[in-house]
Amino acid sequence: MTATMATRPPTPARDRATRSTYVAGLIGAAIIGFYVVLLLFGGRLAPFRATELAGQSLLSPNGTNRLGTNLLGQDILSQLILGAKASLTVALLAGFGTVLVGGTIGVIAGWFPGWFDAVLMRVTDLVLVVPKLPLLLLIGAITGGSVLGLSVVISLLFWPNAARILRSQVLTLRTRAHVRAATGFGAGTWHQLRRHILPDLALLSVAEFIPAAGRGVGLQAGLAFLGVGDPTLPSWGGMIRDAVAFPALFITPAWKWWLVPPVVALVLLIVGITLLGAAAERRFSPRLARHTR
Amino acid sequence: MTQVLDHDPKVAAPPAKIPRRSRAPYLRTIGLYAITLWALVTVVFFLPRTLPGNPLRHLDDPDSGTFIHDPVERERVAAYYGLDKPLIDQYWSYLSDMRRGEFGWSISQNQPVSTLVKNRLPWTLLLTGSALALSSLISFFAGVTAAWHRGRFADRALIVVLSAARAIPEYALAAALLIMFAVTYPIFPQAGAHRPFATYASPLDQVGDILFHLALPLTALTLGLAANKFLIVRNTVISTLGEDYMVLARAKGLSRRLLKYRHSGRNAMLPFITALGIQAGFAVSGSLFVETIFNYPGMGGLVERAVFARDYPLLQGLFIFLALAVLFANLLVELLYVKLDPRVRRRR
Repeated sequence: MTATMATRPPTPARDRATRSTYVAGLIGAAIIGFYVVLLLFGGRLAPFRATELAGQSLLSPNGTNRLGTNLLGQDILSQLILGAKASLTVALLAGFGTVLVGGTIGVIAGWFPGWFDAVLMRVTDLVLVVPKLPLLLLIGAITGGSVLGLSVVISLLFWPNAARILRSQVLTLRTRAHVRAATGFGAGTWHQLRRHILPDLALLSVAEFIPAAGRGVGLQAGLAFLGVGDPTLPSWGGMIRDAVAFPALFITPAWKWWLVPPVVALVLLIVGITLLGAAAERRFSPRLARHTR
Repeated sequence: MTQVLDHDPKVAAPPAKIPRRSRAPYLRTIGLYAITLWALVTVVFFLPRTLPGNPLRHLDDPDSGTFIHDPVERERVAAYYGLDKPLIDQYWSYLSDMRRGEFGWSISQNQPVSTLVKNRLPWTLLLTGSALALSSLISFFAGVTAAWHRGRFADRALIVVLSAARAIPEYALAAALLIMFAVTYPIFPQAGAHRPFATYASPLDQVGDILFHLALPLTALTLGLAANKFLIVRNTVISTLGEDYMVLARAKGLSRRLLKYRHSGRNAMLPFITALGIQAGFAVSGSLFVETIFNYPGMGGLVERAVFARDYPLLQGLFIFLALAVLFANLLVELLYVKLDPRVRRRR
């Protein structure tokens, strides 16, 4: 029942707040779409390769280097376009992984109450208080911090939120008449989960996926900024690090085309994901914006 | 609803029971944190050791240039580093070293990790501590005010500004502030925690200088932290506004300030404190970024240098220090929570 209610399009005329969230969601989707284009066609759009020497050192924006060059003479625009790949890949993988791990644990904990649930929720409490960035730094530095590895570690550290929300949803679904009726007809656990529980969790999982993806973007850039990650992979965090590490950055005007673009690109993507996430949560979450009136 | 039940004579506990509070919730909380700490320390120990390779590979490998021909000598080297012992013994000595306050030896700086940390930890604590305190003040007053004027301009503006601040990563915010207020309009210093080689006329001068340098990093860290708590306070306060006791308090003619902070704002304290505990971790990781941008002499620079040099012992030691700080802050908050909220003691 909730599922049908949630999928029904909002009636914007009636509710101004819902409409503004809806518009915000569209803007967010448009921003993300723009970045996806960069991801898909980045190789063709970028005039240079990311590490290629494209001109003299610290050129200001000109006809060949639209956004100028960095200290090594690499093209900023090309690095910017190609950097979308790292961010979006981590967003996708980390978001998916977080929901997968959290969903599995949440569904199992919700479906099998008792000691198993209690143990899982204790583990969730444990993982919640782990200092995540330092641990990511350490693991990333030791294992090399590839995009895939990073996404796996992020998923293993940030699942508790999704697990809690999906677990409580399973707990309420269990008590619904159709689920109990199915139990009465002798439906097994697997059948129940597949037919009655998981379909009802799909939308909620999407609402959990989006913020997890946003977190992945922030963490990937943050770790690259601190020097963890594949140094040959162009990324906005790495660009910020290179710029900030240049001692004379603010004495020259180079910061205008070297530091500002990656920061703007990153912030724009994160804002886009946040807007889409807010809209998705409003539409899909059963706690439906009770507080955001 | 619960409040009604609490006053029901049949449900309320007899008064004699109240002084004998159980210590169990405190012990359980402390136990949970002890387990977390142990788990982290153990992961840090075993993680590098499960990866392929070992520190003596170049000494044992006949093809390498540093191969040691004499097997006795090879064993002596292994024994010197304790690598001849079984893993479990190594783990044990690692734990007992840590208990004695030895957190390893930095390869790149050739100093004990604890010495390096000792010089830098105060600055990080200054930055994170003041950011947590300042963001608490801002978010509490802004939250109550926004709730009071809900739906109006002040409320909407606060929500938009603070939500944006929450979404933007600290390093981006720090870079933006640096560009705006230290480069374009050079009001604040670009880097450091105080004037280099400064001699101060008075201690007040010194404090002023340190605060002056703290301003931008503090702002960058505070904005993100304030946003989260602001929303919590605002929403909790809004939910109290329609309560009967609020109507009664207003009917009694209480002043607006009393209504706002005593009757309504107080309800936000518990969720507020929970958020504060969770934020201890955010504050520490955020400060690593902010410090790097502003070249602040805290742990951030050390972390960056350790990553750059792939100085694993230093990284491990730093991780353990940061984990200790975060877990300790969390533990404090949770104990405070048990003390503040009688329901936590009664239930569970």
